[in-house]
Amino acid sequence: MVASEPPISGQPASLAAQAFRPGETGGSQLGADWFLARPNLGVLIDALRADGRTVVGPRVVDGAITYAEIESADDLPIGVGDEQAPGHYRLVERGDRRAFDYTVGPLSPKRWTFPSPLSLNVGTRDGRDVTFERVATETPRLAFIGVRACELAALGIHDRVMLGGPYTDEDYRTRRQGALVIAVNCSTSSSTCFCTSMGTGPAARGGYDLALTELDEGFVVRIGSPAGADLLARLPVRAADGDQRASAAEAVAAVAKRIGDPVPSAGLHDRLMAQFDSPQWAKIAERCLSCANCTMVCPTCFCNTVIQQSALDGSTSTSERIWDSCFTAGFARVAGGNFRSRPRDRYRQWLTHKFATWVDQFGSFGCVGCGRCITWCPVGIDVRAELLAIAPPLTPGREPAAPRPVAAAPGWYVSGRVVSVRQETSDVTTLTVGDVDDAFLAGQPGQFAMLDLPSFPQLPISISRFGRDTVDFTIRAAGPATAALTALGPRDEVGLRGPLGTSWPIERAMGHDVVIVTGGIGLAPLRPLIDSLVAQRDQFDAIRLYYGARTPSDQLYQEELRGWGARGDIDVQLTVDRADDAWTGPVGVVTHLFDRATWDGSRSVAFVCGPERMMEATVDALEARDLAPDRIFVTLERHMQCGIGLCGHCQIGRLFVCRDGPVFALAQLGDIFGREGI
Amino acid sequence: MPTVAARPRLRVGIVKMASCDGCQLTLLDLEDELLPLAERFEIVEFPEASSVRSAGPYDVLLVEGSISTPDQATEIVELRKQAKRLVTIGACANHGGIQALRNWSDHDAFRAAVYAHPEYVASLAQSVPVSELVTVDAELNGCPISPDQLRELLVSVSVGRRPQIREESVCLACKRRSVVCVMVSQGIPCLGPVTQSGCGALCPRFGRGCYGCYGPKEQANAVSLARAFAWTGRQDAEVARLFAGFTGWSGTFRSVAAAYGGPPGVIPYAVPAEPKGGPDDARD
Repeated sequence: MVASEPPISGQPASLAAQAFRPGETGGSQLGADWFLARPNLGVLIDALRADGRTVVGPRVVDGAITYAEIESADDLPIGVGDEQAPGHYRLVERGDRRAFDYTVGPLSPKRWTFPSPLSLNVGTRDGRDVTFERVATETPRLAFIGVRACELAALGIHDRVMLGGPYTDEDYRTRRQGALVIAVNCSTSSSTCFCTSMGTGPAARGGYDLALTELDEGFVVRIGSPAGADLLARLPVRAADGDQRASAAEAVAAVAKRIGDPVPSAGLHDRLMAQFDSPQWAKIAERCLSCANCTMVCPTCFCNTVIQQSALDGSTSTSERIWDSCFTAGFARVAGGNFRSRPRDRYRQWLTHKFATWVDQFGSFGCVGCGRCITWCPVGIDVRAELLAIAPPLTPGREPAAPRPVAAAPGWYVSGRVVSVRQETSDVTTLTVGDVDDAFLAGQPGQFAMLDLPSFPQLPISISRFGRDTVDFTIRAAGPATAALTALGPRDEVGLRGPLGTSWPIERAMGHDVVIVTGGIGLAPLRPLIDSLVAQRDQFDAIRLYYGARTPSDQLYQEELRGWGARGDIDVQLTVDRADDAWTGPVGVVTHLFDRATWDGSRSVAFVCGPERMMEATVDALEARDLAPDRIFVTLERHMQCGIGLCGHCQIGRLFVCRDGPVFALAQLGDIFGREGI
Repeated sequence: MPTVAARPRLRVGIVKMASCDGCQLTLLDLEDELLPLAERFEIVEFPEASSVRSAGPYDVLLVEGSISTPDQATEIVELRKQAKRLVTIGACANHGGIQALRNWSDHDAFRAAVYAHPEYVASLAQSVPVSELVTVDAELNGCPISPDQLRELLVSVSVGRRPQIREESVCLACKRRSVVCVMVSQGIPCLGPVTQSGCGALCPRFGRGCYGCYGPKEQANAVSLARAFAWTGRQDAEVARLFAGFTGWSGTFRSVAAAYGGPPGVIPYAVPAEPKGGPDDARD
């Protein structure tokens, strides 16, 4: 069997640097860190242009930060970022001075190293004779600036595909040899990124001439090749100081941490190859448009075809090479039939090539985790989710809940460190907290933690996501303590105790339809449930999510809502109490979203979280649809303090909400639910 | 073997049914190639360009327009008998055209609303593609057709091979031209992913969504695209209107338009349903 985790990055390091440019100068500076002040970025670009190079860098074009020819630093996307989700891309104006705070756009260096169309030859037929004349194409001397680690890996893959075998692509060689590569380490990421899983980023590990890491005041520059050293020698740089080097390293490390490991790649080759008959292929084909966008934006897809244009008299014909795609019907067609006649066949071909057979052919995955195929799929098919569904990791999901940690006892707070902060709405913030106790990572969707910021009251906050080594808390700034929590920034610490309470009984829903009804910030404790449902999507029948918010801008997790909806296998319905000008969806209470729906409640399991009034109305509506009380799960909110049923604050009837809840089956609550004054 | 240029010229006719004449004029758009064209082809019937008429027979007959009147229905059957190869050109001839919007409504009610003496107006209840009445040897899509594809068709006939016309989606044309996807980056509904290429991604290049005038691509999954439109906030009526455009009477687009309530403004009657089943059920 082949290596399942082939080293993908690093290796071409030096195809560009050494094989192509065996220069002698500057070698001693390889790997050293320098600092280029922000105003001098233009000097770098001017120097490249002065060498007669065509400089290709990031530029805002038609609503996206894409690669284009640039003439000066003013052409860079200064102060502009992007928001990406499955099937979704928008520019975001930040207004700062940063030039590289975006993630990859629709084009990659492939556009220049492997162009389409490329003129090949002109064939002429004269009587019995035929002659062919190669069309000479001008290959510009290129310099790329802004190339990300995933793109360096993609270039490395193309090097192996087009130069590493017994036959080589000479046009590619010419373009590639002449190109200078200025990489940029990622200091931001998108929801679609998964370079960490593919082992390619976010830090550039080779294959560049210079690599920049952007700080507010300028750029830490690392030399990757003699040509890079030569270039740097012409720039006004000084040695980077310790703080600058540390800030640069921290920024990139934070990106790695944020992305996590969405598609564990261990054993992926074999796992995938064992799933040729998975029913999931047909399910994907229900959504897949076979439009080929994924392959067109992919920085490693290299399939191409030759088209010809003949003169009217048939005497001459001109050949051009253009990008082709395994998603087109003609791709595997021969006289008499088509080997991959169905879209499901084509999707399987593509996915198994990228993640399995590519390994057999070229010694690495054909995917670098850039996420372009996810963002630019018009219907938002997420290759990560499909891989998890088709070929789940060898140790799927989390272990069952660990024994209750001793650390749950009041007073046993341990500190976690805020890794990142995300403003969800005007008054709701999500803290991603790392360095947490292992007990947290074994927590279950629906559980909560007590948060302690010394000098503020301790607060019960539900866990809104389990990362690989982080947990999220989504908090509405409603009073001083919550305001203090939401004011925390990266690297601030906070005290944690937990995880506490009961969780959503996901296993009860397996093999059934799932209905999730929620309002406002009630979506927060449901998000890890939805994450789990998505990770094991084939264990459930229909999944329906109904979410109401006060206004469109009060919706939490908007990118994810879009992403879930775009999957096509989750019915996501949104409503608001008050619309704004841009809102075209329904207005009204959340139960109206399924008033006229035709689904069968008796096949469903419901998870409900929101204000108690909203939950009461929802429970009435669900019961009217024949959902039994033992299949409706609600969360109750009470004043929870000790979190382990020992302080009495949250007692209702025979139950402690903190210990016996906060997730309850409706049947368990009996007539407590909805009764005033309990 | 004689060179192609030495063979006898092929007799070409260009006729129209219910249409705007734009596709026929594409032949004249070949401009620089008209003279070489005349060496290979004898254009014997082209009322738009010449008063010289011929009843056939034709080596190649290009038919523009949909079948919309009883006379056209008779005429096309006669023309078929005269044509060695019959090639339909454009959205009207291939898919019924924009005039097929009337197919969604009660024909008699329309006629009565528009004409003082509807009994004088001889028209069929539905505007239909030529292929519903006679066998078609090849189709050139578009509204209007592409000069490049027309040229390729004529070359293929002249050289004696199959026309090389790609049946892929418009998206490939966008991506090869570095056009940023208007649907993903701006939320503009675009039929490009389910529409056959040939136009060079004309509308997306100018920041518009594709109108689908080349008709459904092979195995077009219009159901999934419609769902994505609905998801990005489009109301049902808008989804139906998008699919019920120039090629809206093609089977795939029609069934989606119907599923979203049909195009706005129809005078309802029962629309014949398309057979069920997605693109993945049919083998290529």
